[in-house]
Amino acid sequence: MGNIFLLQVKKLTKHFGGLAAVQNVSFEIRRGEIVSLIGPNGAGKTTIFNLISGVYAPDSGEILLDNENLVGRRPFEVCQKGIGRTFQIMQPFPHMTVLENVMTSGLFGRVPKISMRQAKEETMELCQLVGLGDKQKAFPRNLTVADQKRIEIARALAVKPKLLLLDEVMSGLTPTETGEAIKLVRRLRENGTTIFLIEHVMKVVMNISDRVIVLHHGEKISEGTSTEVANDPKVIEAYLGEHVDESGEASC
Amino acid sequence: MDWPSLFQSIANGILIAGLYAAVTLGLTLVLGVMGIVNFAHGELVMLGAYSTFWLFTLLGIDPMLSIAMSGLILFFIGLPIYRFTIRPILKDPPLNQLLLTLGISIFLQNLAMILWKTDSRSVITSYSGMSLHLEMVHIGLTRLITFLIAVVLTVFLVFFLHKARPGRAMRAVSENNTASWLIGINVQKTYLLAFGVASGLAGASGALVSTIMYTFPMVGFKLSLKAFCILILGGLGNIPGALFGSLILGLTESFVGTYVPEGSGWAEGISFILIMVILIIKPTGLAGTRRE
Amino acid sequence: MNRSFSWKTVILLITLAIFMIFYPKLVDSYFLHLTVAAFLAMIMASSWDILARTGQVSVGQAGLFGIGAYTAALLYQKVHLPPVLGMLAGAIFAMIVAVFLGYLTLRLRGIYFAITTIAFAEALSVIWLMTPGVTGGAMGVSTPPLFNGNREHAYYLILVILALAIFVVWLIEKSRLNFAFTAIRENEEVANVMGINPTRYKVLAFMISAFFTGFAGGFYSHYNTYIIPYEVFGLGISIACLVMPIFGGLYTIAGPIIGTILIKAIEEYLRVTFSYGHQIAYGLILVAVVLFMPEGLLGLWKGRILPFFGRVRQ
Repeated sequence: MGNIFLLQVKKLTKHFGGLAAVQNVSFEIRRGEIVSLIGPNGAGKTTIFNLISGVYAPDSGEILLDNENLVGRRPFEVCQKGIGRTFQIMQPFPHMTVLENVMTSGLFGRVPKISMRQAKEETMELCQLVGLGDKQKAFPRNLTVADQKRIEIARALAVKPKLLLLDEVMSGLTPTETGEAIKLVRRLRENGTTIFLIEHVMKVVMNISDRVIVLHHGEKISEGTSTEVANDPKVIEAYLGEHVDESGEASC
Repeated sequence: MDWPSLFQSIANGILIAGLYAAVTLGLTLVLGVMGIVNFAHGELVMLGAYSTFWLFTLLGIDPMLSIAMSGLILFFIGLPIYRFTIRPILKDPPLNQLLLTLGISIFLQNLAMILWKTDSRSVITSYSGMSLHLEMVHIGLTRLITFLIAVVLTVFLVFFLHKARPGRAMRAVSENNTASWLIGINVQKTYLLAFGVASGLAGASGALVSTIMYTFPMVGFKLSLKAFCILILGGLGNIPGALFGSLILGLTESFVGTYVPEGSGWAEGISFILIMVILIIKPTGLAGTRRE
Repeated sequence: MNRSFSWKTVILLITLAIFMIFYPKLVDSYFLHLTVAAFLAMIMASSWDILARTGQVSVGQAGLFGIGAYTAALLYQKVHLPPVLGMLAGAIFAMIVAVFLGYLTLRLRGIYFAITTIAFAEALSVIWLMTPGVTGGAMGVSTPPLFNGNREHAYYLILVILALAIFVVWLIEKSRLNFAFTAIRENEEVANVMGINPTRYKVLAFMISAFFTGFAGGFYSHYNTYIIPYEVFGLGISIACLVMPIFGGLYTIAGPIIGTILIKAIEEYLRVTFSYGHQIAYGLILVAVVLFMPEGLLGLWKGRILPFFGRVRQ
């Protein structure tokens, strides 16, 4: 377990039909890092998440978590190996309360399995942590967008992941909510979780990331600190034709 | 090598495949255009068979002539079925659609039992027993006519979908709903018409069924399963696939009937076994899905 | 989670139990028979609902029912296995078949799975008809009257099994299985990513469902003294299994029970009027439920009965 690399992705490739969604992508994520994955729409970012979490099987390449190959494993196995993820389009279980939603992953995503009582206690603490403390008995459809994102995050955290994949959790939030979200992510890292996030909100990316990986047309075109990447001519060119407004948010 | 038996098997298989294809056409149309698997399709065929039987028994109309009439009757039965039960659930989850069409199927099966009892009916015409004697093969006249009419129905449908305005609208809608609406196609009317045409095809194929098989309330259920088998064999929602699937099923049943001891009994189970085997091996069906 | 235990519920259950124990003394023989039939249906409805909780709709429960029925009947015929053991054997054999069938087919979604289950039951029917030497074929299999015709004993047996079935469903609702089943039903892909192995839990649900359905088949074969393939593998049984829970309210304990009672009442009335075709009501009910009340009867009554039994999830 002395490996500084928690996640290693090597030459990952995935085609859909004839189209290459992800082409020969390689990168590493060190334990305790916060790394952002950015790129114009359609660059393949969510596909990378789907490949890592086992939803898709790659055509070729390797995915190593703590030196263990994840390729060929099904999503529930990947989860139990220590990866938790959120979904870009929020998908809470509609007929469960917030508490029950989060308990579900706590009960099944953890190895070894924990008791219902322990799951419930941990879930209540998690809800407090993400800011859903007083909404535990509510149903997701009655909650705001920000709260539904909190459910997604709490659900992903309930599996006590080594690696947390956050898919565009910042979009659609007010400035205050964004600030709270950033604080939460930092706190999670302090607690020992490694975080890999897909983001469009550039302000957040610059603010929070130790490193940034840039994807374009399914290929990695740049990698480095936020400043390095921001000044990389290849990155600027990829976003050219995209309107970058004052708020720092890249839009299509 | 017993050539006559082989050729006879092949001939029988092809002939019955024609009937199966005719039965499956309407199901394919509805699935292709609006994405719904109509579990009650077999019952529409059954109603077509009964309609032909009664036209023949009560009015003396030859079954081959009443095909158009049965088709028309079922066309007009299909329209209100669509309007009042299918249209409301177009956007529902597939399981709801399954349960609804299943409900219609059960309703119609039992309605037939109440109205016409469970006895098997036959349509026996003056030419029912005749056959063509070729060199090594006997071809039943009724079966041959049925096959030819099935071909006519298929050709008619293909022409309709490619040349007629409403038919082309149906193809457009099956490809892309929103784009069709944007260019001015009335999607709802297209769906309505598609369901009507599919029901009409069911009725017409029911007329054919009445001449080859017994007519009884559950005949639709038996045919439904064959139609599902054909869909799964041939790819869902496309006509060439349905033809291909019909051939496979028809020939397999025929070969089993000829070469397996007591084969005619086992042949009945071929469609079930094929369904299970194919779905187990290839969950998306043999030719893949045109529409998920 | 709702609180499972309130004193109100305990008292109600005890009263109900006492009533059920003395019930045979209160009704005539024909009504007792109707009750036995209703209990049998409740068992099948509840067990169908167990699989439905994972989002899989089986239209082929008759396959499992028939396997249970024939296992019991044939074992009696060949080796004189006592009826209750035969029913148990039927349940276990149905369960084993369900495991194999389940692993092969439960990864199929929605309609495909439903079609496969129909094909399964029909295939069994054909196999049975074509192997009269082993299975009795179209002529069927007879067994002597259950418990020598003592309907009361039959009643108590089926009552115990029904209570067991309800208890099992209650246990499922209290356990983590409920989370797994609901998650799979509501969003299988997300459930998978959350660490739930969908196939494993679906097969588990199918197994439990098959056990009770198989037992019901075994019971039926002895109680009815005569079974034929057309009947026990027939579509009518598969449809009955699903109409009752859908009508009463899915994914609940009370729903399948209430649905069964009402449907049996309707059916009894119709059976007197039409000798065939009384299942026409099933068709109408299915259509009506999907169009007008997708939550079933319990959904309609949500606001009123429920405070007594505790909160229900919408």
